[in-house]
Amino acid sequence: MIASANSQRHKDAVIIGGGIAGLQSALDLADQGYKVAVVERQASIGGRMISLSKVYPTLDCASCITTPKMSAAAHHENIELLTYTEVNSITPGPEGHTLVVTHKPTYVNADKCIGCRLCEYACDTEYPDVFEQGLGSVRAISVAFTNAIPQKAVLDADYCLACGLCLRACPTDAIEFDQQPRQESIHADVVIVASGFQLNALTIKPQYGAAHNQNFISPLALERLLAPHGPYGRVLRPSDGKIPDSIAFVQCAGSRDQTIGVPYCSRVCCMYAIKQAMLLSGSLPTADITIYYMDIRAFGKGYEQFYQNAKAMGINFVRGKVSKIDSAGQDDLLVHVELTEEPQDCVRKQRHDMVVLAQGMIPQWNPTGFSPVRIGSDGFVATPDPISPCSTNVPGIFVAGTAAGPKDIVDSIAEAGAAAMEAARYLSMRAMPGHSPRTVALEMMA
Amino acid sequence: MESMKQETVQDSAIPHTPRVGVYICRCGGNISDVVDTDHVAEICRLIPGVAVSKVHTFMCSDPGQQTISDDIRQEKLDRVVVASCSPFLHELTFRGAVMRSKMNPYLYEHVNIREQCSWAHKHDPRGATAKAIQLISAAVGKLSHSTPLEKIRLPNHRRAMVVGGGPAGMKVAADLAACGIPVVLVERSDRLGGKLPILNRLFPNGQAATELAAKLESQVLSNPKIEVLLKSEVTTVSGFIGNFEVAIHGDFGPSGHATDIHTTVGVIVMATGFKPYVPTDGEFNFKRHPAVVTTVDFNALLSKQKGDARTFQFDGRCIRSIAFIHCVGSRQVDGVHTPAVDGRINTYCSRVCCTTVLNQALQVRQRFPDTRVYDLHQDIRTYGRGHEEYYTDASRAGVVFYRYHGQEPPEVTNTNGPTSPLRISVKDYLSWGEELEIEADMVVLAVGMTPGPCETLVDQLKLPRGEDRFLQEIHPKLRPVEISVNGVLLAGTSQAPMNIQETLAAAGAAAVKARAMFTTEEVELNPYVAEVDAHLCEGSGACLTQCEYDGALAMVEILQDGHTVRKAHVNAGLCVGCGACVAVCPTQAINVSGWRIDQYDAMVDGLVRDLTPTTI
Ligand SMILES: Cc1cc2nc3c(=O)[nH]c(=O)nc-3n(C[C@H](O)[C@H](O)[C@H](O)COP(=O)(O)OP(=O)(O)OC[C@H]3O[C@@H](n4cnc5c(N)ncnc54)[C@H](O)[C@@H]3O)c2cc1C
Ligand SMILES: Cc1cc2nc3c(=O)[nH]c(=O)nc-3n(C[C@H](O)[C@H](O)[C@H](O)COP(=O)(O)OP(=O)(O)OC[C@H]3O[C@@H](n4cnc5c(N)ncnc54)[C@H](O)[C@@H]3O)c2cc1C
Ligand code: SF4
Ligand code: SF4
Repeated sequence: MIASANSQRHKDAVIIGGGIAGLQSALDLADQGYKVAVVERQASIGGRMISLSKVYPTLDCASCITTPKMSAAAHHENIELLTYTEVNSITPGPEGHTLVVTHKPTYVNADKCIGCRLCEYACDTEYPDVFEQGLGSVRAISVAFTNAIPQKAVLDADYCLACGLCLRACPTDAIEFDQQPRQESIHADVVIVASGFQLNALTIKPQYGAAHNQNFISPLALERLLAPHGPYGRVLRPSDGKIPDSIAFVQCAGSRDQTIGVPYCSRVCCMYAIKQAMLLSGSLPTADITIYYMDIRAFGKGYEQFYQNAKAMGINFVRGKVSKIDSAGQDDLLVHVELTEEPQDCVRKQRHDMVVLAQGMIPQWNPTGFSPVRIGSDGFVATPDPISPCSTNVPGIFVAGTAAGPKDIVDSIAEAGAAAMEAARYLSMRAMPGHSPRTVALEMMA
Repeated sequence: MESMKQETVQDSAIPHTPRVGVYICRCGGNISDVVDTDHVAEICRLIPGVAVSKVHTFMCSDPGQQTISDDIRQEKLDRVVVASCSPFLHELTFRGAVMRSKMNPYLYEHVNIREQCSWAHKHDPRGATAKAIQLISAAVGKLSHSTPLEKIRLPNHRRAMVVGGGPAGMKVAADLAACGIPVVLVERSDRLGGKLPILNRLFPNGQAATELAAKLESQVLSNPKIEVLLKSEVTTVSGFIGNFEVAIHGDFGPSGHATDIHTTVGVIVMATGFKPYVPTDGEFNFKRHPAVVTTVDFNALLSKQKGDARTFQFDGRCIRSIAFIHCVGSRQVDGVHTPAVDGRINTYCSRVCCTTVLNQALQVRQRFPDTRVYDLHQDIRTYGRGHEEYYTDASRAGVVFYRYHGQEPPEVTNTNGPTSPLRISVKDYLSWGEELEIEADMVVLAVGMTPGPCETLVDQLKLPRGEDRFLQEIHPKLRPVEISVNGVLLAGTSQAPMNIQETLAAAGAAAVKARAMFTTEEVELNPYVAEVDAHLCEGSGACLTQCEYDGALAMVEILQDGHTVRKAHVNAGLCVGCGACVAVCPTQAINVSGWRIDQYDAMVDGLVRDLTPTTI
């Protein structure tokens, strides 16, 4: 035990996930002097937030407010970022937790790479850009995105043709085609799970027929279309590049429905739909924008006012259940909606150029099988202790942000702070005389 | 406090020609879509002293910051300007970046060409571009007169005061004390727990509120690091981060007599909670009929129900039907709702009342199957984890829902005497806007939250409040538990409506920030405070008449060339650097460091500098 612990890397805390929640927890712990590692499976930290356009309710540019956090984490002397790294297992023990992680091969020597992107410019193999939600394309070797951290090229072996163009272009000989996955075990006194969320499939409701028409778009794709530095620099509909003049948002399109296994509310989609509608009406002033909803859940600070502003701007809020969506003509879509507000038309059919489906939020990572951390019936990490909302069932493992259920940025940030506090509390009890981690664990379980 | 050394204004002559780096951010298009950033960079190269002038897509990104560091090293820059977004967002980012390259952080200037140029002059790209150049030129001008400054370091009292002993306050106190930080917890009422004792079965897990309260309370009471002061209030507070002087008045003396204590704390956490909205007389017939109650009252009524009656009991009567009305005192509409005495209406959503109603409605249906339940809402906002279940379960349990529009709130009237049912008229948008009349034996008003009482602290510490009167955080996305007064933190519903889990999370977030403030022996403050040139000061005291910050300025007697003379003296901890004193000093002896008069002059010169390429 001890012998192997010596050969391992030791951290006070390991954070799983470098989204806004993970970064905030890391910063809050590091600011107290704890040594922290952030394990992030993507090539860059930043999570979902870095790919958003502007954020409600302030309409701050998301890049502008995420990059400082990313940068602060990257420059913090107590924080180490382990990007492009997967968690294989977390094993709690009486003296802390052992994490086994795999550093995936980037095929680029990170010490040599200077982020000049010459390889990227040289490469002529392109594939759909995941960061841009498939709307743009990216080279088989590239830096994840403009403001990615770290600024290191990553080669995608699935697309690389091994033609060697990048090898010749790289001024520092950083490209290593023979890199292998590398396993490492890290010993940590506390772990914070901040593994975030993903959206369920656009096609989850067959009655909406999203599988059959390109003009259904994911709200994440719309975020990219609306971003000032997005793929097209403006909003175009996918099928034919037309500037849409009628856009519908269909709310709860992957949530609040037991038949699709997501009975809960995804909590952020009402607000981001309102935000996106506002941004759209800014960039397409003449477009008709309709939001079909069941309840508008504008519950946070300043959110109701944001909603009322959107109404005043002329965005159409239509309460009703969208029963199905058909293709109308070649590319257009016909939304069938059951209205309860007006007696005249109980079922209205409305044509739109483009439909945004509010997909449901589901967890991105299921710790079951990797660790003893339990999840709730909704699939998100369970938090059994009501007076410590960030504690999991395992002493010394905490959870923050959307890993513990849908929430927006501000709620993720508050929770990340709280998780860091719980972790600090645990760590400082450990440091007190007479307390071994073991007794802390036992006390906390009692 | 220990006297500050009286620094003289440094000679504005600069020992060598400065080498300024100018960096212009495109902000991913936010700026460069309007401002011609390449042109700006080109023109800025012509400003005397500018050694480097560059454009970057995101200056704040790592490569952006790296460019600055590289240039400081390679180009031997000694001053840096970044022209980007508001300094509110990124001044600290770039100051940090230059500091990492061993440059004095106060030789950095931030120019806002987004909010002040590209956004303000969206339809005038040429004008916006010209203005950006002028602003940068002014900053370069200022820098040529800037001198290195050091942060002010003052002692940090390792002790926190938490105001309010509700769930938020108890959590903060327990968290900090568990890390060894002494806490004084000030609670105005005679018990801890805040609103918990008046709650019943809590959403989202059905736990008894008393049980939760007892757990938190035992964490507080069992920790000797926490001094709990009940029936007490803060009477005066002054000072600054690390050094707040507070006086607390309360009944905590040994014999239970009112006593005052004075103490110094490094951090103050505002956990002053909320007040449930109190409907006005006659609002939904409140106070005009005994069976019109609030959700707060209803919690008490629920816990008082006895036996195994199949019908809810009130005033010795069987209540056959109850109507819950949502959004009472929340989501109010201009022109529809009568403003409160201060002329305000509560336009915000109170966040917890929807789930509270469904929790109560469901309990009624489960325990009293012969009592019908109506629910009148605008939207059902069961957003949280485990909340939607209350909605589906309530629907299944036979709660009948009606939906009204905010502009047309339901009306409640008496049908007859105080024991007769009430009549509710509502235009229901679940049945195509039909005007319905419902009779109910009882009406429960889902009251919203209004901010808790904390005027003394708000006034004395000059804490900002938002439009909704809750305490205003620094940034509603990124910094929800911090407030613009350094050293003061927000926990729980003092900042905004939230439920208990969210309150505890916010409290944890505040505690972690408080703990971080105690990691150093000294607190560091920005050096932008007034400085007195002892040679120029003639002791007129004019500055004192203008200073609005208690204790920031004083006249002291010092020995100069064998004579005792009166001179102005600045308390750096209390001075906010507003410059009111600077304007009135007859001898120009007082200046604000980093914003001296000669720097302003240089900025004005910079603004009017002719930068057409031919002038060089
Ligand atoms: C379309 C859309 C628009 C939105 N707009 C707004 C808005 O305007 N305002 C607002 O407040 N909120 C908005 N949100 C919500 C916001 O995106 C989330 O609140 C926020 O991103 C949550 O941050 P997080 O850190 O919890 O999760 P994420 O951002 O999902 O971060 C999790 C990170 O963990 C990593 N990870 C996951 N599993 C592992 C693993 N096993 N090992 C290593 N790393 C792992 C992921 O790669 C990711 O980087 C929006 C959401 C959507 C879908
Ligand atoms: C009807 C109703 C039902 C609810 N039901 C639930 C539920 O089921 N589940 C749930 O999660 N949430 C529920 N809530 C919300 C819950 O009450 C709050 O989230 C919680 O009480 C907030 O805690 P707090 O510490 O911020 O504020 P509070 O509970 O208000 O505590 C503030 C404390 O500060 C003290 N104080 C105030 N000002 C001063 C001062 N100047 N000096 C000294 N002391 C001061 C007060 O006396 C009080 O003790 C409900 C709310 C209402 C109105
Ligand atoms: S936030 Fe709105 S759109 Fe999203 S699931 Fe909840 S109610 Fe539906
Ligand atoms: S939570 Fe529900 S009842 Fe409360 S103000 Fe918001 S919408 Fe109205």
